[in-house]
Amino acid sequence: MDKKYIFIKRFWLPVALFFIAIILPFVVSEFWVHVFNEILILGLFAAAFNLVFGYMGQLSFGQAAYYGIGAYTTGLLMVKLQWPLFACLPVSMLTAGIGALILGYFCVKLRGIYFAILTMAFGQLVFFIIFQWYSFTGGDNGLQGINPPEWLFKAIPYYYFSLAVVTIGMIILYFITESPFGYTLRAIRDNTERTEFIGINVQRYMLINFVISGMFCGLAGALWGPFNRSVAPDLCGWQHSGHPVFMAVMGGPHHFLGPMIGSVIFTFLNAFVTGFTEYWPLVSGLVIIVVVLVMPGGVFGIIKEKGYFSPRDVGDVKNE
Amino acid sequence: MEFTFLFSQFMSGLTYGLMLFLVASGLSLIFGVMNILNFAHATLWLIGAYICFTFWSLMEAHQFALWVSIPLAALATAATGWVCEVVLIKRIYKRELHEQLLITYAMALIFGDLIKIVWGPTDRLIVRPSIIQKPLFLFGAPIDSYFIFVILIGVAVAVGLWWFLKYTKYGHIVKAAVYSREMVGALGIPIPKIYTWVFTLGIFIAGLAGGVQSAIGSVTLGMDMNIIIQAFCVVVIGGFGSLMGTLVGSLIVGEVFSFAILYWPDGAMVLIFVITAMILIVKPWGLFGTPLRA
Amino acid sequence: MNDDIILQTDHLSKSFFKYQVLTDVNYQLMRGMIAAIIGPNGAGKSTFFNLVTGYHTVSGGNVFFKGQEITNWARHKIAKIGITRAFQVSNIYPKLTTYENVRQSILAQQKRTLNLFIPAERLAKQETLDLLEITGLSGFRNTEAGILSQGDKKKLELALALASKPDLLLLDEPTAGMSSEETHETMQLVKRLNKEIGLTILFTEHDISVIFGYAQKLSVLHQGILVAEGTPEEVRQNKEAQACYLGEEI
Repeated sequence: MDKKYIFIKRFWLPVALFFIAIILPFVVSEFWVHVFNEILILGLFAAAFNLVFGYMGQLSFGQAAYYGIGAYTTGLLMVKLQWPLFACLPVSMLTAGIGALILGYFCVKLRGIYFAILTMAFGQLVFFIIFQWYSFTGGDNGLQGINPPEWLFKAIPYYYFSLAVVTIGMIILYFITESPFGYTLRAIRDNTERTEFIGINVQRYMLINFVISGMFCGLAGALWGPFNRSVAPDLCGWQHSGHPVFMAVMGGPHHFLGPMIGSVIFTFLNAFVTGFTEYWPLVSGLVIIVVVLVMPGGVFGIIKEKGYFSPRDVGDVKNE
Repeated sequence: MEFTFLFSQFMSGLTYGLMLFLVASGLSLIFGVMNILNFAHATLWLIGAYICFTFWSLMEAHQFALWVSIPLAALATAATGWVCEVVLIKRIYKRELHEQLLITYAMALIFGDLIKIVWGPTDRLIVRPSIIQKPLFLFGAPIDSYFIFVILIGVAVAVGLWWFLKYTKYGHIVKAAVYSREMVGALGIPIPKIYTWVFTLGIFIAGLAGGVQSAIGSVTLGMDMNIIIQAFCVVVIGGFGSLMGTLVGSLIVGEVFSFAILYWPDGAMVLIFVITAMILIVKPWGLFGTPLRA
Repeated sequence: MNDDIILQTDHLSKSFFKYQVLTDVNYQLMRGMIAAIIGPNGAGKSTFFNLVTGYHTVSGGNVFFKGQEITNWARHKIAKIGITRAFQVSNIYPKLTTYENVRQSILAQQKRTLNLFIPAERLAKQETLDLLEITGLSGFRNTEAGILSQGDKKKLELALALASKPDLLLLDEPTAGMSSEETHETMQLVKRLNKEIGLTILFTEHDISVIFGYAQKLSVLHQGILVAEGTPEEVRQNKEAQACYLGEEI
């Protein structure tokens, strides 16, 4: 098949989404620019989470911990040390990665529901540390006054900044998922036992992946603080850990863009519903139930089922 | 430090530990039999506490109000659990782990908000009947007399569950279901029926615990999340599906928490996580758990 | 120790709870051989494989590979030093395509699985296609492995094992679920690999024609004990071996 044709077939969707994202601020009001910014940040968060969930096949219910570590690292560096935002982003990835390395070391010893419980418990551990360490993190008051530099202060410039960072992040994540490492993750998901017998140290790969996922969760978190001008311990809480799970499930965890699409739906819904009622958890809970019961494969699952994508072909289109 | 002080601290740790046991035992039972992790377990526990408060406020004038409200709250919560099982959980028996977890996570979100809608954000406090208003003195140490009641309930439920699992026909069926679903199916017992009643029983215990909790201190929003996470730690420490493990885990967490709060209040929760992690390094399946299901 | 011995076990034993499933097995396998372990169901053949490959922990005794003790090593380490196995019940990656299955094993052998940034589809193309060709799976390279027929899954199982470029290949009933034609093809392939690259092969099998058609050495396990050993002809004459098969013609 023609190389150009393959390229178009594989990348038309993300490229189209990217161009739509560029045009959006010219079309919609400032409120919706904020919403789209949120979509981008949470979409990166969900895509990073999906590295552990969709690709490695383990459910982490505590990824908000690393998101929160990233957010607090940037927040603290900017508020207390007046670091520039650019320098904060890589440092946030580093601290979130270190957090994921320490806690992940224990988590990757377990599988399935035990993995889910332990990640969740460790997520709450991070939450409690941040919540109770008043002198350093501001406890439940959070950190205020995380202001991005002058030229990013307005909604639209910061949106483009987020778009650039998230796009780069997503491209790196995409490369990882298509690399031999990414396929090793799929192998671990499909058949952990067999993967050991072809000579792969499964726990080590799981840990490396957990750290990578944590780093990109941290990057998403780092974007959040300056966007919201503040961070609060809730960012690490159990409710926040549930969001990427739901986004991935809603969009379809077996497609690279699934979590991002899930973020679009979820965040839109959030913006819409919170305009009417304070009971967003109630509404989101009902939506989760409906989605899980009615469309288990997510959006991309349905598209695949209806045959809008051709079956997989080596060197051709990938649905995974 | 004086003995009396340490002793009263020990008793409050014991009380807290047994309260945790009441929540964690239902959680562990449901997980052991149905392989479903009920994220909403502590939220139902909190609903039990609020319901107990409501029953109590209806009979406020009477001394017996609390004692009647607790069982009523347990029954009402169990009924709520039964409805959840029949309407929702039944549909996800054969679904994947993340779907089951998302459903119970959604239940936790929904019930959390329902509590807010029904009872509002203000704290609720039950005025105790006069018999338990004054402290008891045990070995010269002042002990909250209600703690004795809580401890008795905790022990009664532990013994009751143990007896139920060991000596009754239904208990044997439940135990068999933990090990092999096929076997129970082969005995000609309809699995869904067992699941429904196990879930209801677990929620009944949670509701009972919630009712008991309502007179320990004020009932506030968000209490459930501390408890559920500690209950997770308990079952991870003790091992899923093991009654003994849940009891031991609860007491460890309760006592550690109770004493840690004296010396390092901010770090009490962190210490529990550290202990959980340490036990996991040595015994990945918990103190009493078996690696039956990966 | 003799350099020609590739695999040796000393007093290898395994018990599950109170059940002794393997007792004091002293086994030696020479480099470059095709050998078979036979015996009735439950004789301990699979357990023997499981102990050698680290699938189960050894209860007693030692395992040596090329003179190095490997008792109770981690599975991936044993795989890395050159023992690979194909499973009795095919144990593949059901959601990946046949091509991706094989490529995964090849990339693991080439130690390229930690590579994070080169697209996997650019790597190991020729090796993967070659191996699919050899094992007769070329026609299914874009099929999800989970929907292959039983026989093709077994072929893929073999391909995954071969991709690891082992020195010793353990095959647990390699032809189970195959048609007689496929069985013949598969065993011919095994024989060719043995001849051409000197791969040592140890297999278990129920099919008498396969056992006597291909094995150069037979070992008979019965109730966890090694009761007879020798060339196919010697074993055929052996009274104890005959007793194990209880009247079955061997």
